Amino acid sequence: MSRTREAFVLPLLFLTVALLGGVRVADRIVLLPPPLFTLVLAFLLVGVLVRSGALAPERLMSATRPPLANVSGAVVIVTAFAAATQAFNVAIPEAGLPRLLFSVFLLVLLVNTLAASPDRVRVLRSVLVIFGSAFVLKFIVLAALSDPAGGWLKRVLLVMLEGLTFGTLSQDLYRPATGYIAFATLTLFVGSLALLPPRQRRRLESAPYGPVHGELDR
Amino acid sequence: MRESAARTLGLVLAAAYAAFIVWLYVRQPQTVAEMTGALSATVGTYSIDDRAFADGLRFFRSDRFDAARLAFDRADPAHQDSRTQFYIAYSYYRQGWGRLYNDDAQFARGLEAVDRAVAVAPQGRVAVDDPDLQLRSADELKAELQAGLRRDASYLNPLKVFRQRK
Repeated sequence: MSRTREAFVLPLLFLTVALLGGVRVADRIVLLPPPLFTLVLAFLLVGVLVRSGALAPERLMSATRPPLANVSGAVVIVTAFAAATQAFNVAIPEAGLPRLLFSVFLLVLLVNTLAASPDRVRVLRSVLVIFGSAFVLKFIVLAALSDPAGGWLKRVLLVMLEGLTFGTLSQDLYRPATGYIAFATLTLFVGSLALLPPRQRRRLESAPYGPVHGELDR
Repeated sequence: MRESAARTLGLVLAAAYAAFIVWLYVRQPQTVAEMTGALSATVGTYSIDDRAFADGLRFFRSDRFDAARLAFDRADPAHQDSRTQFYIAYSYYRQGWGRLYNDDAQFARGLEAVDRAVAVAPQGRVAVDDPDLQLRSADELKAELQAGLRRDASYLNPLKVFRQRK
């Protein structure tokens, strides 16, 4: 991984995800801090990334690297964690039964992925599917159900579902800009994950700081 | 660029960006004007438009509260001046006050404004030396607004028609 990517690109990308992850546009702009549960999910996601080799922490922090390079690597890991937290903040609905269902579903999915130990490419695909599905469900399906200006079919469906879910299905209604920002945030997040230094299959002994500056990380 | 210089620059940039994000989430600015105003208030360079404030005060004293608030908003677009926010809150109080009943929506907006005034005041203390006002501190004004929004037995007291607007 290049020095520029480690020192500038990844921290700034992840911090941008952390900034945009809480943006909700309604009558006014609200910046929602992440709920505590998203910290647990982010921790699991980082675990999955390390286990699969999509993130090799030893290439960011190790005894063979200078102290400043280690601090720089630590910043990448910390910002990746913050971005993951905010990505889950985007993906999980803000209230009611959907919030509970999404949280449990994501938790089970991540624990299952952790146990399955897939490789890097499969994990990145899996992350794309997880966040893509959550985006569609939250910003398209649930938003349509919560829209008071919907048609008669939507209202009938909502009445039936509200009965089944004790009236906890409807979500706060945000402006369409929220969905666009969420889409950009999740795309940026998944793209940034693909830029993380992966585990190398073999080491280059001649590398100045161990495998970090190797050429086999593509 | 040298390795250490590049990494140091990256760390400084990341730290500054992270601090900015935390600041945004804590302050929750609603508009670009609020954001820039809050930033300049943080470094102590924020100032209101005195002419717009004087206009607002003139409208306020002649009971033209909507016009007063427009002028006050122009004077303090970032909502960072406690005195201006205090007058905005007071304008909601006076406009919403009624001999038989108060306008709850106006009082609620007044509470929001007085909370903003307290939030940006040093040590949370707002005191305005204005002989035209009977409530000269944010504490008194907030208590009056909260009392106006309260619903209890005193709300039905017929003697309240004799009370005076402050």
